[in-house]
Amino acid sequence: MTDGPPPGAPDVVPSDAERALVQAYELLVDTLREHADDLPPFAARNAVKAAAALWQVANGLGLDPEHPYELGL
Amino acid sequence: MAFWNPRSETLPRPELEALQLRKLRLLVDRTLRDAPWQAERLRAAGITAGQDIASLQDLRRVTPLTREEWMETQLADPPFGAVLAQPRERAMRYHTTSGTSGGRPLAVLDSPKDWEWICEMWCYAFWGFGVRPVDTVFFAFSYGAFVGFWGAHYAAEKLGCLTLAGGNMTTEARVRQIIDTETTVVCSTPTYALRMAQEAEAMGVDLISSPVRRLILSGEPAGSIPATKALIERRWGAAAADTAGMTELGTIFMFECEHQPGGAHIIEDHYLEEVVDPESDEPVGYGEVGERVVTSFGRGFVPVIRYRTRDLVCRVQASDCGCGRTFDIYAGGIRGRVDDMKVIRGTNVYLRAIEQIVRRRSEIDEFRVRLYTVDGIRDEIEVSVERSDEAHGPEVDAWLSALGRELSSAHEGLRIEVALAEQGSLPRFELKAKRLVDEREVWGAPAGTAQTPPQEGSR
Repeated sequence: MTDGPPPGAPDVVPSDAERALVQAYELLVDTLREHADDLPPFAARNAVKAAAALWQVANGLGLDPEHPYELGL
Repeated sequence: MAFWNPRSETLPRPELEALQLRKLRLLVDRTLRDAPWQAERLRAAGITAGQDIASLQDLRRVTPLTREEWMETQLADPPFGAVLAQPRERAMRYHTTSGTSGGRPLAVLDSPKDWEWICEMWCYAFWGFGVRPVDTVFFAFSYGAFVGFWGAHYAAEKLGCLTLAGGNMTTEARVRQIIDTETTVVCSTPTYALRMAQEAEAMGVDLISSPVRRLILSGEPAGSIPATKALIERRWGAAAADTAGMTELGTIFMFECEHQPGGAHIIEDHYLEEVVDPESDEPVGYGEVGERVVTSFGRGFVPVIRYRTRDLVCRVQASDCGCGRTFDIYAGGIRGRVDDMKVIRGTNVYLRAIEQIVRRRSEIDEFRVRLYTVDGIRDEIEVSVERSDEAHGPEVDAWLSALGRELSSAHEGLRIEVALAEQGSLPRFELKAKRLVDEREVWGAPAGTAQTPPQEGSR
């Protein structure tokens, strides 16, 4: 997703700052996917809340973020 | 910066439509995978993958979903029906429609991500109307199961505004808190904005000199009725913006920007809005009134594809507003409901048209329209009005007659009786106003049988 717009997408070129936020979203999702069970509740749920907010950034940029409901998102 | 999302709010039309097409294909793929009930409708239209949608127009192959069909599945499989695309344990919000139609409300669920998206839509409206982190925002809202201003509350928090939850308060207490906290933005229904203004006057509070500078209205079409809006702005000494949403979508789909173009911008990077002839289902062009059919890209828990809203709208191009957005506009907001039209002795009557005339007279505090049947066959219409002062005598009779003539003249000469109601006798509303009382007898039904109330629509 961070390498640029998906096929058929308009010419959305995120700025460096926007790209960093999208990467943060992806990192959060990857972390939850791999380690959610290892995290204490305060860490896991705050991460979900942060990911839910950052999903809006990726979506607002037209980058087609997935809908990872299985992570509690 | 005037835009919440400058990139998408100013996308050139071809790029905006390309974005919509891509989101539509993804929505179709997700729906086919996760939402069997909605998927059945897609497959019936020969759509078995997102790539089957070659253009936005292809979506028209799908039969629109009606509120009745949604309710049928909810009744058959309570409490949510077959509309959920995810197991309920993944949800964290439960909300319902307002229930003002008298029927059973629709119930929906949202996940954390969907809920953030719901707030995100409100952020377009708040930011677009000039609300900023320094503002103090008061919500005159009851905070119950009805979704109402819930998303707006969290949007105000997201913006960093000082956010005041005005639930479970009397009108007097709300006015007092608005003044005491130096509130700068008030959110309410149009009717309740007027109610608070009346209360402030009775309390000797001068709203015009208060810090309130903006009102965000929702819940009723009156936010875009020019006379009503002008009255609200005059009484508060503040600018008022119309918004509209639906519980079925979870949030708003349109908002009025600071330029106040006489309508509201459609949030087109998150919705695909069609306007069709309610009878033929054929699309109508710019400038023509038709029914909204909505597809939502944002809420994944309850996929909404081609939902028939019964809202009447008139779509015009974005260029009608000078704000620079490329999002088209619903001129005049929600113009009424397909099922709002009443036929009285062959003349079409819309509550909105009556309100537009009544609200030109600032001395009217409240009004109600009653439809009834005389001698079992003749339909009549009566408009009761409550004046803000206690004037009596011939002057009032002349004034009522003049109002009757204005109403009649706007309705092809239809005789409309105008009656003066006692002060404080007509009902006041906090949520959705119900000013139309239809007591007409239905031919063949027992006398006094009321006609079916209209379904709820955009709030």
